Amino acid sequence: MTDIRLFGYCDPLSAQAGKPIDFMVSAEGTSEVQAEIVRLVHGDFNPDGPGFIEEPVATDVPAALSVRRQYTQNGSFSRVDDSQARLAPDGPFTVHAFIWPSTPGGQRQTIMSRWSVHGNEGYALGINPEGKLEFWVGDGKVVDQVTADAPLVPKVWVLATASFDPATGQARLRQIGVQNSWNSHIGPVTPYDHNTHVVETLRCTPAKPDAPFLIAAAHEENPERGRFASTLYNGKIDRAGIVARALSAEEMAAIAAGTPPTDPLAYWDTTEGFTDRGIDTVIRDTGPHGLDAQGVNHPVRAMTGWNWTGRDDSFRLNPSQYGGVSYHDDALTDCAWEPAVTWAPPVDLRSGVYALKVSAGDRVDRIPVIIRPNKPRAKIAVQMSTFTYLAYANEHLSFDAQIAQAIVAHTPVITGEDIEYDKLQEFGLSTYDHHNDGAGVCYSSWKRPIINIRPGYRMAGMNFPWALPADLSLLWWLEHAGYDYDLITDHDLDREGLSALTPYKAVLNVTHPEYYSEGMLDATEDYLREGGRVMYLGGNGYYWVTAACPDDPACIEVRKLDVGSRAWQAEAGEGYLASTGERSGLWRSRGRPPQKLVGLGFTTEGMDRAEPFERMPDSFHKRVAWIFEGIGDEELIGDFGLALGGAAGVELDRYDLALGTPPHTLLLAASINHTDNYPLVSEEITYAFPGRGGSQDPQVRGDMIYFTTQNNGAVFAAGSISWSQALPCKGGENNVATIMRNVLDAFIREGELPGSQFSGEEKHWR
Amino acid sequence: MSDNTYHKVGRRPWEWKLKPIGTDERPRLRLPGTRRHWLKWRDVHNPKTLRRERVLADKMPLWWTLGLGFVAIITPFMPNSMISVMSIFCIYAAINVLWTLIVGTAGIFSLATLAVVGASGYVAAAANVYLGVPWPFMLIIGPIVGFLFGAILAAPSTRLDGLYYALLTMGVAEICRVFVVQLRALTQTNGAITQVDSFIPEAWFLQRPGLLLGFAGAFLLLLGALLVWRLVNSERLGMLLRVARTSREDEAFAEAIGIDFRRARLMVFVISSAALGVVGAFYTMYYRSISPTIFSLDQLLLLFAMMVIGGLGRAEGAVVGAAIVTMIDKGLVELGPPRIILVAFIMIGVTIFAREGLTGARHQFRDYRKRKSGERRARRTEKGGEAMPEEATEVHDKQELYYRRFNKRLRDRLKTLITPELIEEHKRDPLGHHSDALARVLNYFRRAEMADKYVIHRMIPTEERFRIMAVSGVRGLPPRVVDDREYTDINDAYHAVFLLRVNDLLES
Repeated sequence: MTDIRLFGYCDPLSAQAGKPIDFMVSAEGTSEVQAEIVRLVHGDFNPDGPGFIEEPVATDVPAALSVRRQYTQNGSFSRVDDSQARLAPDGPFTVHAFIWPSTPGGQRQTIMSRWSVHGNEGYALGINPEGKLEFWVGDGKVVDQVTADAPLVPKVWVLATASFDPATGQARLRQIGVQNSWNSHIGPVTPYDHNTHVVETLRCTPAKPDAPFLIAAAHEENPERGRFASTLYNGKIDRAGIVARALSAEEMAAIAAGTPPTDPLAYWDTTEGFTDRGIDTVIRDTGPHGLDAQGVNHPVRAMTGWNWTGRDDSFRLNPSQYGGVSYHDDALTDCAWEPAVTWAPPVDLRSGVYALKVSAGDRVDRIPVIIRPNKPRAKIAVQMSTFTYLAYANEHLSFDAQIAQAIVAHTPVITGEDIEYDKLQEFGLSTYDHHNDGAGVCYSSWKRPIINIRPGYRMAGMNFPWALPADLSLLWWLEHAGYDYDLITDHDLDREGLSALTPYKAVLNVTHPEYYSEGMLDATEDYLREGGRVMYLGGNGYYWVTAACPDDPACIEVRKLDVGSRAWQAEAGEGYLASTGERSGLWRSRGRPPQKLVGLGFTTEGMDRAEPFERMPDSFHKRVAWIFEGIGDEELIGDFGLALGGAAGVELDRYDLALGTPPHTLLLAASINHTDNYPLVSEEITYAFPGRGGSQDPQVRGDMIYFTTQNNGAVFAAGSISWSQALPCKGGENNVATIMRNVLDAFIREGELPGSQFSGEEKHWR
Repeated sequence: MSDNTYHKVGRRPWEWKLKPIGTDERPRLRLPGTRRHWLKWRDVHNPKTLRRERVLADKMPLWWTLGLGFVAIITPFMPNSMISVMSIFCIYAAINVLWTLIVGTAGIFSLATLAVVGASGYVAAAANVYLGVPWPFMLIIGPIVGFLFGAILAAPSTRLDGLYYALLTMGVAEICRVFVVQLRALTQTNGAITQVDSFIPEAWFLQRPGLLLGFAGAFLLLLGALLVWRLVNSERLGMLLRVARTSREDEAFAEAIGIDFRRARLMVFVISSAALGVVGAFYTMYYRSISPTIFSLDQLLLLFAMMVIGGLGRAEGAVVGAAIVTMIDKGLVELGPPRIILVAFIMIGVTIFAREGLTGARHQFRDYRKRKSGERRARRTEKGGEAMPEEATEVHDKQELYYRRFNKRLRDRLKTLITPELIEEHKRDPLGHHSDALARVLNYFRRAEMADKYVIHRMIPTEERFRIMAVSGVRGLPPRVVDDREYTDINDAYHAVFLLRVNDLLES
């Protein structure tokens, strides 16, 4: 029997009951799979908890689905459909583009082309396997080319331009260096000569292929896969164009000096279309035919261009220096598969995490989907951190990142699935990974199979569930403890704002709400001001400035920058989100440290072991003593857990008045006894000195706090990722659960909060 | 620091390089009628200066021009006897070049080369002498005969393997010789045809102008043979066959996907045979006669010696070999029979010391130097230790050199921390509060580079069964299994990884 392989994803990742969801499945080794919808109850098979639990749900989804192998287009590029073949001139023409190639050499790359790889027809400007600029034409039988003399130097801006006259066969290729002190990876002190100028008579003329005009790729087709893009390009491309005549050497030099041709056939002005709110993926053609180029797999906009001079460090200050568009041959934001089945959950379906379970032979895949009720039903909302799920989607840290084992203080525990995903390299990267040229990944989307949102999946680096599979522990416990809840998602909150929260008495965060948009922060803040109650039950929350892409809600954008626990760092001047125009990086760098919102902010992380919380004196104040009903005065809270055996671990948050924790916050409890594998986070370190680990630095701890807001609102926060994963221990009846019950029972009650009457001035005899 | 001696490194380049200026317009000229350039100039950035340098990436055209130009210029000033030696050299070189095509490119080990030359020569001579065909037509008859003879010989080449085919072709040559010798019509001349008309006027024959004309013809013949060699090898046919030569499996695979190698090889064989036919006709005209010695084994072996000395499978080998052997055999005639012994000794010497003849010696020398430097470095440096200056020239990122120095010394310190107590401490609690010594050792392990870094493989997702693997450090290249031991407790697996790493540390 052949090996069966199943992969799938759904679109959207979360939907309201009643709204249709498309499930995409690709299968090899079988043409039919068994399918059923299951409700995911618990996602961790750790024997200390309830184990892996799913319940079948009766639906109209057929029991057997016919499936086939579906192909994925990897790599980002821009496409002009050019159905009228305007970009295949009969007479002489010139192509030009500013390029910043990041990986010249090795494999052929295409900068701009109306070229058919399989048919050898058309023309293209690209980089040959020797790493040299090349312009080639083909008539279907013969391919002829003119090649630059000198190899391109990686990450240095040059103008690449080539003209061709079919009447004489003369081709002129010029590469003109435009490096300055700011715009390139290395500086002008390097004695490179970035210029080359070759004139040659070619022996064939370009045929007109049945191919689109592509920037950063060339067209290819085969019977198995159909039409796709290949010979992808790595690096930046700025302002490109075509002129319907052969430009002279001087006219080429004029482009390099900043004067674009006055009579373009097409001119893709990458600086056009910027607003204060960013830019989309359409590259405008300001030429006579308006042949706009549409980005595929999110080419990265708002990057510094060939003429960047450093003074303006945001495209909002000077869009004319931000014509850079980054292309990557391993970018992926949309698999664009055909749906295998569409399921519209009945309007009365209970809110929860469901999955399409497909199986064939011994292979099973569960494609999770988050179902929100058709209208708010419960008093409690659990906000599923879909932004975070995407940010970590298909992370490759255990295979790629040298420092990963040192960070997690762990030998990774990988499974066959991890090996398969790594081997395939087909389903894209997370915002924790780097593209092939070393650039950080700033886009992630749900339109692709994502291994680490599967229930039961354990993050390889840590050997325990992370994000969605971990969050199921909280949902299991809520059900176990008899609380009704509705699920909402980051995307719902980002889209709808405050109105997504107002129906609920209390809103619970999940284990790791790390990625937040401005709208989500505002909505949460307004909710609290209007009397809402938030239970922040995670670690390292409200951390990265993130945005959902306006043109594609499946996709998020984040740029990691300057400070924080960052897997990569944006290049100078490239820290602003193309999606919204705002500065990315940490929220605390923009005046909104998480402490200002929920009293706690990120302070340390470690993955060797988790510790318990210990009550602090404030927990005996009558304003909050009710939270500790049933807990002994010196009882350790959460010295157990599915994540590293404690309730305080993995990533921890700290109370800090200096960072804006509300001054009336009560510090209820704090975790103790962390190892040195929990170091103080980098954004807290101004001067480096030894001893910033758990055994020496008092800022290395997780805090549990409480404060009240206007209109009977309140925040209870336990700043630890492993908090929720302690809930299912001991059958769901334990001291972490006791605290949760005490808080939840109070939060879902109308009116004043318990203890709120104890606001008097203290007059102690003791 | 040890008692290492440090040698100065650095070399002054001897090669003459152009210093191009990038903004200058550079017209690139091509060989008329082709897409090829005259010379393979390539610009590179000198890694030490970053300046652009234009170098001739393929210097063979230069050597050919120098070598052949030298022959063409020097010969007219030579004494008569030497002129004929040079002519014979050109003819033999031409035969050898074509033979190289058969043996090297087509990969058919045929020994009937001289038989083809002889047969064509005889038929062309007979046509001239007995049928009165004018001499220019001999240059057409020769290749036709060569073509037909080649086609007949080619047929069994794909049926018989190596040695058997070689024996068969040798047999063919012998049959030709016996046939010619026993021809009644030729008995008076011992099988030779004489009085053949030629491009050399009869009056000039063996006179200086005649010798010079003969040399000019022979030189053109050699150029023609080289052209055939170049065309066959640089066109699709030759390229296809060179791909195939790398291995038999490739050939089988290529045939499976529809590339017809058998056909390509036969084509090359037949083309070469036709060209040998031209040589045969020329040979006859050059001597104005042809005799059965052309089919003789000693001639064949002399030719074979040329190829072996020069280097099998290369045109330059064929020419250099021909030059050496002809100079000895024909130029040192006064030595008498010992000159044959000399050829034999040279042949044996080359076979023993040079893997691919004299023209392969340079490559072989480079390999040898590389091996020697590898051995010396291995002796001078310890594994994973510091890089010596000569090794440092090959490391692009100079920071790597410091890392090696630093890590070597760090490892030396860490080794002193490894004690049974430390190992016991880890075994007790792999993920716990650790002593300073254990924390330092573990941190070193965890920061190691990605290539061959240990990971634990959970064999079945929901079960506590583990084994140890090592990742490749290359995207998409799966990890390897380290050993077949299995662990049912994750802490045992962590500890097993620790022990492996301690072992690696102590061995380093």
